[in-house]
Amino acid sequence: MITILIIDDHAAFRVQARALLVADGFSVIGEAVDGTSGLEAARTLRPDLVLLDIGLPDVEGFEVASELAVTGPPPLVVLTSSREASDYGPRLTSSQVLGFIPKDELSGAAIRALVHPA
Amino acid sequence: MVSSWSTPLTTTAFTRVRALLLIAAGVLGLGMLVGTAQHGPLALGTVLEVLVGWSFAACGIFLWSRRRTNRLGPLMTTVGFLWLLGRTMTLVPNPVVYTVGLWLTDLWAAAFALFLLSFPTGRLTSRADRAIVGIFLFVTVPLEFLWLLFLVPENGLNVLGIAANESAAHVIDTIQRAMISFGSVLLVIALGRRWLRSSGPVRRQMVPVVAGAIAILLQSASWIVFSSGTSLEPLDDLIFLAQIAIPMMVLSVMLRARMARAGVADLVVELGQTPTPARLRESLANALGDPTLKVAYWAPTEDRFVDAAGEPMELPEDGTGQAVTMLERNGVREAAIIHDAILLEEPGLMASVASAMRLAVENDRLTAAVEAQLAEVRASRARIVAAGDAERQRLERDLHDGAQQRLVALTLALRLARTRLGDDADPSVKLSLEQASDEARAALAELRELARGIHPQILTEAGLHAAIESLAGRTPAAVSVDMDPDARFAPAVEAIAYFVVSESLANIAKYAEAGAVQVRAGWQEGVLTVEVADDGRGGADPRMGTGLRGLLDRVSAVDGTLEVVSPRGGGTRIVARIPTAAPTHVADRVTARVAT
Repeated sequence: MITILIIDDHAAFRVQARALLVADGFSVIGEAVDGTSGLEAARTLRPDLVLLDIGLPDVEGFEVASELAVTGPPPLVVLTSSREASDYGPRLTSSQVLGFIPKDELSGAAIRALVHPA
Repeated sequence: MVSSWSTPLTTTAFTRVRALLLIAAGVLGLGMLVGTAQHGPLALGTVLEVLVGWSFAACGIFLWSRRRTNRLGPLMTTVGFLWLLGRTMTLVPNPVVYTVGLWLTDLWAAAFALFLLSFPTGRLTSRADRAIVGIFLFVTVPLEFLWLLFLVPENGLNVLGIAANESAAHVIDTIQRAMISFGSVLLVIALGRRWLRSSGPVRRQMVPVVAGAIAILLQSASWIVFSSGTSLEPLDDLIFLAQIAIPMMVLSVMLRARMARAGVADLVVELGQTPTPARLRESLANALGDPTLKVAYWAPTEDRFVDAAGEPMELPEDGTGQAVTMLERNGVREAAIIHDAILLEEPGLMASVASAMRLAVENDRLTAAVEAQLAEVRASRARIVAAGDAERQRLERDLHDGAQQRLVALTLALRLARTRLGDDADPSVKLSLEQASDEARAALAELRELARGIHPQILTEAGLHAAIESLAGRTPAAVSVDMDPDARFAPAVEAIAYFVVSESLANIAKYAEAGAVQVRAGWQEGVLTVEVADDGRGGADPRMGTGLRGLLDRVSAVDGTLEVVSPRGGGTRIVARIPTAAPTHVADRVTARVAT
């Protein structure tokens, strides 16, 4: 079972995301409210995958993703946002992440599609 | 320092007077010639004597008619007539006439001294000058009277000679000559001092009067050297020649001021071009033909005049041949023009110059006021634009943080419900959930579109190029984008450029029936040029579409221009030019971030 760490500053989203992912067969092992605590949690908990909000209060999700990429062994990173991919343009494509899922399209299937691209 | 004359004669009356005087002078001169010719052959000296009188009379009359307000004209005329009358009357055997003639011949000297010292205004300005003329008058009036009392002339025609006494007359005559010599020396000194205190052009003007003073001096000297009665003919002839020339030279000097009038019209034009102080002085000097001209500015903080560089300036004193024209506005002293006194001779010349300068100063002031107001309008417009942009960003954020989050939460909740429901649930319940999800998704999409219309987040995130690419992706026609992908401009500028493209693409989608669209954006020499060209129907009228009109307003609010070229059937080209600083490049920003 894939372990997931959720880094997002919206409590309501964290709750719903956890419920959704757990119902879809994932194991949510931690939650963090901002980039700093998120990086700390990633180091401590060593999740397989990090669901990372781009709009964090202390630092942008892209930067956290860059940081995660250099912690070894790096977890898979899936960026998320209330906005769509087209609102971020080339910044999204140039970052070293597994992929991007808009929050409203979040589901276990979507994550699986990224992890195991058919 | 402005001369004035009360009630000059009217033109027709003056013309008559002038004609009469000329005729009178002519008659007197001829009389002299005829009278002298009766006693023997005409000597050159006599002819020259007549010419002296004619020269003074004619030049005096001419100057008087050209410069009505100047006393020098009538003064010269008087000098001429005293000369002519005196000599003509001494040719007449009548005792009364003869005596008066004698007197007038000598009185001439006082008039001549007055003429020399009162040049160029015809008025005496200093006490020393008045004293010198006083000496001459003393000699030629009371002393003369005394002399005439004792005089016994050979022809016995002296009507006043009641106390005939040869030796007394001789003594008084000697005293007279001594005093006139003394007066001549003082005259030469006075004029010499004026000469030394003035500069080149003014000195040139003074040449005739200095020559006149020297002539009197020589005459006095010859009296003393050659004792009473005798005279050296060639010297006398030379002096006569000088005295013929003097009135003509004075005339030419005085009339030179007329030519300055024409320069004032050019001056007004030059002043309109707001010259620097150096250029201003040059323009004034050229217009008025006075290279000695200087401009002094009043410095209220120092309570004195200063030049253009701020160094203190002294105004010239009386008697140096320079005059001062003060420039005031609303009773407040502002500047002074220091110039040759001769320019005051042309009536109203300096007044015209002062008006021209006042016009120029007023023009400057109004221009400055208008510039200041324009600057204020531009600043306030920029503030409005910035406020608008900030407001839009706030709206977009509110939408994002508020309604969008709720819809996201709703969508996720519906998905969760669907998942929990499982596949064995009641199909109608599953259907309801699907429909609810679809609605939520549609609502979120519309909200996102709305937010993008208010303020596209990608513009802030990734810049103009990325935003345009994103727009291009959502347009049905084939859009090619030609722009430096890394260039970032000021947010207000990127917003305007984005909206130009977005509005243009929207119009193309609605009306143009275009197949291909080219979007180009580039920066050169302070201007960002954004161009959207399509190959569609054309015929767009910028005045009709509220969208384009709104765009025009927004572009001009940042001092830009919008051009729409849309021939019917020939496609449409929209070009916006926005003045802005050079773009920064994303690479620089990334480097900066890594450094922190």
